[in-house]
Amino acid sequence: MFFLIYLRRELLRRKRQTIVGALGLAVGIGLVLTVTMAAAGVKKAQADVLHALYGIGTDITVTAAAPPPPKLGSSEGASQGFSPGQGSQHVDVLGLPPGLGPLDATAVESVSHLPGVSAAAGGLLLRDTQLDVPTVQEQSTPGWRPSQKNLGVTFTVIGVDPGRTSLGPFASAQLSSGRSFVAGDTGDDVAVVDSGYATANGVATGSTVTVAGTKFHVIGIVQQSQGGGAADVYIPLARAQALAAFQGLPSLTGRVDTIYVSADSASHIGAVRNAIAKVLPTATVTSSSSLADAVSGSLAGAASLASNLGRWLAVGSLAAAFAVSSLMTVSAVSRRVREIGTLKALGWNTRRIISQLLGESLVTGLIGAVLGVGIGLGGGLLVRRLAPALSATVAQNPGAKIPENVRIDDTGMHHEAAAGGSHTIAVHLTAPVTLTAIGLAVVLGVGGGLLAGMFGGWRAARLRPATAMTRVA
Amino acid sequence: MYTLTGVTRTYRKDNATVTALSSVDLVIEDGDWLAVQGPTGHGKTTLLQILGGLDRPSSGRVTVDGRDLATLREADIAAIRAASIGFVFQTFNLIPTLSALENVEAALVPLRISTADRRRRATQALESVGLADRSGHLPSELSGGQQQRVGIARALVKQPRLLLADEPTGNLDEQTRDEIIALLENVWHDRGLTLVLITHDPAIAARAHRVAQMRNGRLTVRSGQARTHQ
Repeated sequence: MFFLIYLRRELLRRKRQTIVGALGLAVGIGLVLTVTMAAAGVKKAQADVLHALYGIGTDITVTAAAPPPPKLGSSEGASQGFSPGQGSQHVDVLGLPPGLGPLDATAVESVSHLPGVSAAAGGLLLRDTQLDVPTVQEQSTPGWRPSQKNLGVTFTVIGVDPGRTSLGPFASAQLSSGRSFVAGDTGDDVAVVDSGYATANGVATGSTVTVAGTKFHVIGIVQQSQGGGAADVYIPLARAQALAAFQGLPSLTGRVDTIYVSADSASHIGAVRNAIAKVLPTATVTSSSSLADAVSGSLAGAASLASNLGRWLAVGSLAAAFAVSSLMTVSAVSRRVREIGTLKALGWNTRRIISQLLGESLVTGLIGAVLGVGIGLGGGLLVRRLAPALSATVAQNPGAKIPENVRIDDTGMHHEAAAGGSHTIAVHLTAPVTLTAIGLAVVLGVGGGLLAGMFGGWRAARLRPATAMTRVA
Repeated sequence: MYTLTGVTRTYRKDNATVTALSSVDLVIEDGDWLAVQGPTGHGKTTLLQILGGLDRPSSGRVTVDGRDLATLREADIAAIRAASIGFVFQTFNLIPTLSALENVEAALVPLRISTADRRRRATQALESVGLADRSGHLPSELSGGQQQRVGIARALVKQPRLLLADEPTGNLDEQTRDEIIALLENVWHDRGLTLVLITHDPAIAARAHRVAQMRNGRLTVRSGQARTHQ
């Protein structure tokens, strides 16, 4: 075909110009691709945070804000203090973590029947605090310093519905020894322990762990594939609800504090989220996209970097590449006035000549796209290799701020994040190569080529045949 | 048949109006051979461009077989050029990246004929100018005379009714000049086409049937009547 022969010969004749034009586009496309892949990596990291906290398969979580603290001087408030006495006291308290409030367990059923929901399960995320209250005598001994046990040892406990273990953090836990929960475990004092906690505390299958002063028989050890957001100890939901009652605190019987929801399709997540928000207007409904707003730590910084600096850098360099490519094409057309005039004299109409020029620019753009994909893949590799480990910190209730404690000492008043009030997940930033990114590169290459070709064609169309011939003759 | 009536062509150049053609009246019968002489810059090439539809007059009429070129769209004029007007240039104007055969084929591209037919006709055209053995050569690999032969083959391959030659021997030595003029004369004679040839060379002009002089944009037909080879 003559069109292709001519096109190939012209590109080869102006090899250097073709390569420079294609490389210019390639750099712009490569940068856009790298930023796109890094942004996709940040999104994936955000999804990983959700999955690390709430398990793979969970698309949406529902949580509630913590109830307001008891008023000072009230009977509820007075009953929660620990008063050192003459004898030693050991306290083991199982309660809601700071920032998280209870939800009625019937809400799980309501949510599970909403359109677009494939499954819903309730869980009770709790914090067990064990401490030894020192005696009055001990505290008055000169040089006495509180030990770790005096300050309190905490670990997280999740009450899991043994009949619905396919959703929530327990669903993504890999059993490394023993067995998992079965429906018959509902009322039993049995526990499954996270491998990290088990190793640190010498717990094994067959041994016991103490939760809220009750010994639980360890039936299995599990390992979380995601980061460290999972609980230390999993126990049956009913047992967690029963044991979490403490002194004047409201009972958690019939309550959960997290509902894990799976949507039947990724495209329905937004609609399901809105539907849940209507059914439970006071609850916090979180998906991986909305969780991004609730994340603090270096992941949030990376997301901001990708969406602000990265985006504008890529857009700027792409615009520059398009401009350079267009100018080069116009310049090439100006140098080919004699040739274009000759073609017009041979009877080639303007449309045919523009098509020829567009074809040349298009091929240059496609070469730029291919090279740009290479540069983008290299950029993605650099992101994967050089990106530091990121951390994401999320409040137990993602809709609220991380709860703070106030500490007063000689230097003044200090606000500190309440222990157990947030999760911190380690996330590794990746730059996944997606078909969308490759498609974007091709579209940009074709777009850049067409843009340059249009400028060249515009220049050629403005050439009057006689002007071209005058330069010839 | 070409008829030019009161054709004037002016240009704006550096805030001044330049008159390239001034009230030119001319009739070119089918099969005529008209040589146009005149000093450089006096409107010869502009006349050729108007005849080839590459330029339009500022005033006056140009009719081809009764059709006014001014009323035709650019695409229609391009179609007329593609089908029935051949150009031969002083500087050959071959596409440097295309072989001799492909350069000749380029003239057939707008006619939308099959690739095989295009190739066959281009090969025949090269044979007719004695360059069959050079068909794969690039212009840079050909001598000036050979390049002009390729240019003539390109102009003739579409079997035009009108051949416009703008100083076709201006860049050639004397011997090659004679060969090219003999070739054009044979083509004119054998194919019965109309030939308009611009030349500075009185010896070439003398072989034409009519000679016109172009001076300051005005055309004067100096000798002969409109005669054809029939």
